[in-house]
Amino acid sequence: MQNPGGDEAPRPEPTIEPSRSNPDRRTALRALVTLGGCAYAGVIAVPGAQFLAPSAEDGQGKARWIRVGRLEDLPQGEPRRLAVVGDERDAFNVTKDQQLGAIWVVREGEKVRAMSAVCPHLGCSIDIGADKKSFSCPCHTSRFSLAGAAESGPSPRAMDPLDVRVTEGFVEVDFKRFRLGIAERMEVG
Amino acid sequence: MKLGDWLDERTGHRAWARSIAEATVPGGARFAYAWGAALGVTLLVTAVTGVLLMTAYAPSSTTAWASVAHIQNKLPAGWFVRGLHQFGAQASIVLVVIHLAYTIVRGAYRRPREVTYWVGLALAGLVLAWAVTGNPLRWDQRGYWALRVETGIIGTVPLVGPKLQDLLLGGGEPGSATLTRLYTIHVFVLPLIVGALAWWHLRLSRKHGPALATPADAVKIDRWFPSQVARDLLVSVVVLGVIVALTYRGHGAPLDAPADPTSDYPARPEWYFLALYELRKPFHGALEPIATVVIPGLVFAFLAALPLLDKKADRGVPRRLTLLLPVGLIGLGAAALTLKSIRLDTADADLGKAVAKAEARAERATVLAKDGVPPEGALAMMRNDPMSRRVALFEQHCASCHRMGELAPADGKDTAPELTGFGSAAWAKRVLEEPDHDRMFGKTSFKGMMPSVTKPPEDPEAAKVFTPMAAADMAAIVGFLEAEARGEKTAGTQGEKLVRQRCTSCHRLDGKTDDEESLAPELRGWGSNAWIQAQIDDPGSGKTYPAGAMDPKLEGHMPAFKDKLPEADRKLLTAFVAEERSKKR
Repeated sequence: MQNPGGDEAPRPEPTIEPSRSNPDRRTALRALVTLGGCAYAGVIAVPGAQFLAPSAEDGQGKARWIRVGRLEDLPQGEPRRLAVVGDERDAFNVTKDQQLGAIWVVREGEKVRAMSAVCPHLGCSIDIGADKKSFSCPCHTSRFSLAGAAESGPSPRAMDPLDVRVTEGFVEVDFKRFRLGIAERMEVG
Repeated sequence: MKLGDWLDERTGHRAWARSIAEATVPGGARFAYAWGAALGVTLLVTAVTGVLLMTAYAPSSTTAWASVAHIQNKLPAGWFVRGLHQFGAQASIVLVVIHLAYTIVRGAYRRPREVTYWVGLALAGLVLAWAVTGNPLRWDQRGYWALRVETGIIGTVPLVGPKLQDLLLGGGEPGSATLTRLYTIHVFVLPLIVGALAWWHLRLSRKHGPALATPADAVKIDRWFPSQVARDLLVSVVVLGVIVALTYRGHGAPLDAPADPTSDYPARPEWYFLALYELRKPFHGALEPIATVVIPGLVFAFLAALPLLDKKADRGVPRRLTLLLPVGLIGLGAAALTLKSIRLDTADADLGKAVAKAEARAERATVLAKDGVPPEGALAMMRNDPMSRRVALFEQHCASCHRMGELAPADGKDTAPELTGFGSAAWAKRVLEEPDHDRMFGKTSFKGMMPSVTKPPEDPEAAKVFTPMAAADMAAIVGFLEAEARGEKTAGTQGEKLVRQRCTSCHRLDGKTDDEESLAPELRGWGSNAWIQAQIDDPGSGKTYPAGAMDPKLEGHMPAFKDKLPEADRKLLTAFVAEERSKKR
């Protein structure tokens, strides 16, 4: 670090003072400084990790009842595909009256059974077979019985059932989404 | 063969680690050198939190504010990350000043360190540019108006100004194209340039080592790690402590109401530009660029020229006073101007009111955003919010003549009756006692038309035969008016009887009056929602006042808003005024 021709007086050969070169002292200080540096980084890293962690609080486990149609419009025993329309939350935006998804419903007397139209395999939209005797997914040929049980193909579980209630003649469904591709049925927020 | 050997053969990392472990600080480690390091570390904190914010920020005029509000109020630790980012940036500016001051006082810019110094000066300017491009990204009122003013100033720079302004704005008006440009500069261009220059600055300063004041200093020598690093870390930790404390104090960084280009916002620059803001005040018109461009440019040029001016062999501070004094004066001047600006603003009551109003709007926006922002964006959310909209409507269409609570014309500019408490007993009593008071009809064309029921008239002859109304009678009339405003039954009451006897010589009651020429308003339903609605829709329709009362020939007549405002807005205003009658005062 010499500066020939600089504005400074030529430096004598520096000598490291004994007090400054005590190896124990230096090792301790090095450890302390390293620890301090890690602590400093932690102050940023911990909230940073929290910030990036996806928030599971949004709507998970909360019932979200949405009207999907009139009971009297549903024929007995025949599966019908209904659109689920509601307010779509996407990060900071809320958009009114958006189609959130679709469900398959089967009327059984005065009761209604509902299943998500999302295939549990990889999320394609489940369709009714041509013979109306079973459901099938167009993407990877998963087949389900009219009760929703997985019969053939790659689907890891049965179609996802949804809670239904009938109020004032209207069919209402508790619309939820589930994690895909696994045998376990886990709700996603 | 060990993994370390294998790796070292390919990367040479051991030599690099050794060079760090064995690096020395000629002349010994000092706290004076820690400011530059703390600046670097603080910029790094700002960069890391900036990258975190990028994962949640959406730059467009409809999403920017909403995404920042989402970060601030919804995301875990979002407020903390925002706070670190903003106060980290502001701390960097403070550290730039301290680091530069040390450099100048010590004469550390002298040969052979001129380039190190110039790169540092460029970095100082870029750190400010970083702040300038960052603040508007929130797309809140404060950021938006700062952007308007700053790009306006850039536009006045000779030759390149207008082109540069267009380049920044991406068009004539600040909007989505502006945000994407600022964002690109803020998160890509500036980090690249600052990163490269900072690396060069660091390399150069390592190359030359510290500028030692006296040869005697060179006798000592310290290892950089840990001796100097310990000092660097200590200062960095103190700075981080301040940043964290400020973040906790303000619960993150402030967020104003969404940017509204049509509002009258009491814009003030961030604290680090207050000196320039104050400096501009005495310069008007064509002279303005002297304060905004010429003086800052000269100061920067003077600082940049220091290494060229300071060439005497003696580097002692006393010998360099001719140079250090002007630098000190610039610093003192900037500090004095900043303090003056703060003092003036604190003492400005009108500004205080405007700021309070802006804060109320910001709070309202935060409350609304909690339920999610519509796709039309945050400003549409505010404009469609009845609570905010009616205030804005009143300010725009009513408050230039009428006073209602905090919403009022400029001092003494009331030209229409006060609406504070309109429809209440207190208001009715006041109009009976002092109809010509300046806050009643004293500044309207109706001045002198209605006699007071308690004060004798000015004309001495008339005053002789005047008898004040009995308190009980007045109370009955006030009771009648109050009941009418509330929509209660008044048929057959003493108040109604008295009104028929004492008031209908001029006033209408159910459309009937003794004097068809009179301009006095209808008293049936006075102050009720329907009456207020009719008055706003068309004050001369006869439902409230007769057509003659609103003759355009009469000075300061009230316009009919049915042609000016949509019905929904008129209904909002009606409800707003109607609330006054039941307000507790």
